[in-house]
Amino acid sequence: MTYDTFYDIWYLFVRATKKLLRNPILILFTMFQPIMFLILFTQLFSKFSNLPGFPPVSYLQIAFAGIIFLNAILAALQSGMSIVEDIDSGYLSKMLSTPVSRISILLGRLFSDATRLVIQSIIIILLAYALGVSIRTGVVGLLLTLITVAFFGIAWSGISLAIGLTTKKSETVSAVGSILTFPLLFMSTALVPAAFLPSWMQIASNYNPMSYAVNAVRALTNTGYDWGAIGSAYAVIAIIAVISLGATLYQFRKLVK
Amino acid sequence: MNMPDIITVDNLVLVYPDGTKAVNNISFNVKNGEFFGFLGPNGAGKSTTIKVLTTSLKKTSGSVTIAGLDIDKDAGEIRSLIGVQSQETVIEPDLTGRENLVLQGHFHRMRGRPLDDRVDELLKLLDLSDVSNKKASLYSGGMKKRLDLGSALVHKPKLLFLDEPTTGLDPQSRAAIWEYLEALNKQEGITIFLTTQYLEEADKLCQCLSIIDHGELIVSGSPMELKQQVGGDTIEITLANGTRTVEPGLKEKAEKITASIHGVTKVVDTNSGLAAYAKNAGNLIPEIVRVFDFNKIAIASVSFSSPTLDDVFLRHTGKRIRSQELVQKSAYSSRYRGRRNS
Repeated sequence: MTYDTFYDIWYLFVRATKKLLRNPILILFTMFQPIMFLILFTQLFSKFSNLPGFPPVSYLQIAFAGIIFLNAILAALQSGMSIVEDIDSGYLSKMLSTPVSRISILLGRLFSDATRLVIQSIIIILLAYALGVSIRTGVVGLLLTLITVAFFGIAWSGISLAIGLTTKKSETVSAVGSILTFPLLFMSTALVPAAFLPSWMQIASNYNPMSYAVNAVRALTNTGYDWGAIGSAYAVIAIIAVISLGATLYQFRKLVK
Repeated sequence: MNMPDIITVDNLVLVYPDGTKAVNNISFNVKNGEFFGFLGPNGAGKSTTIKVLTTSLKKTSGSVTIAGLDIDKDAGEIRSLIGVQSQETVIEPDLTGRENLVLQGHFHRMRGRPLDDRVDELLKLLDLSDVSNKKASLYSGGMKKRLDLGSALVHKPKLLFLDEPTTGLDPQSRAAIWEYLEALNKQEGITIFLTTQYLEEADKLCQCLSIIDHGELIVSGSPMELKQQVGGDTIEITLANGTRTVEPGLKEKAEKITASIHGVTKVVDTNSGLAAYAKNAGNLIPEIVRVFDFNKIAIASVSFSSPTLDDVFLRHTGKRIRSQELVQKSAYSSRYRGRRNS
């Protein structure tokens, strides 16, 4: 990468961020479901925590990590939609007729989407805090949580980007997204501890990337630094990233040529 | 020696992956500093050609050079020499006019003071200074088009590609764009390659043009040459007092003397006088007036009309560009609206 590439990434990051700040509704766009889960779902299941074997914390404390990552997978859909928007409006072609660094178009997008995700996660954390969630590992744990969510979001954005670049249709991106979301959410440890899942779901959960990310953040929330869980989470994130961003890069190269 | 050609296209072919042959073996050259037009109805292959010349589409075969650079090998270098305005107005609606231009400058590796100065200059040139800090989404259609044009000019390109720059604009905005383009071509010496489906536009702006249809280049030349190839202009002479009151034999005399004027190929009787066909009719009018005056035949009016580019298109393709233009444009605009609203 050349010196110019870093500038280009920065300019495209600023472009996307300005768009976001001038349409603040975009920040809230994907947050509707996670906020409903945070406020209503956790109330509905609040007595869940009385069950024998449930960790000695409120249900909200357990679901918090799951809701953070639910938001992340919903937010990641926006990446694919944005690139489709750039294709449709002709802005991508316009950029490609200039000497702008090609890879910066993707990287600027990914970084600004990760920033949006961090802003959204902070909103969720503040809401959760207002509802009584306390973070065992404090500010450092929260920072680590935000970093984990950001990386998870980047990896997950690759999925929607690859779909968007392949199909060039935002309907397909959102359809695939909504098909994936609930199976991933329910067949994971996002909303309950692993022991409370039926045995077949426990098996599914072991192959579900959501579970690994959730377990790491749940530990940070309720018990402390579980480096094993954190390590597994980052390993899983890395695997998804290699696959999804690899596919994205492949499709992008095809489109640019 | 003449100035070198800034664009050379030899036997260009473009076949889309689905098998559509959009451009079929066309060749043409554009001279440095020229205002060159590509005229044809919708779907003729104009946009496809522009996409190839601006490096955003890879040609199937043939050879293309821009400023002496090979389109395949030196695409990167070519991109910094050219400015491109696509058919749809492409701006970033959430950024201000100024931010749009600055970002485009950044894409062209411009920064700091030189960029700011250039952006100021363009905003002024395009009459956008007053609204430069407003979001581009609030601009009128004409302003958006001008901003888009500005973003193609930030890096002072040697060669400007404009794909139907005035499609969908009202007459005033169109006239304003024409004025900017002529100024750019004449004052800044920018070579302009323009596609259009508007006959008047090609006629008014272009020093040289090629007419294409169904991916094939039909004819090239200056608008004047092309129209002259069609044949003569029509001169209409109306006699004073109308036909009924003129004395017998006068009209016959008038016909005879008109036919004797050098350059007139044919004279026909019309209701109110007569019509003559000739090349360069404009040059013959003084002569006609003189001869009629000499023979004491009073003339009420003399007018002439030249063949239009539509007549050129008609002669070469057997159909009119106008009628197709209207049908296809309404289909296009309803589709376009549909997509925008969804």
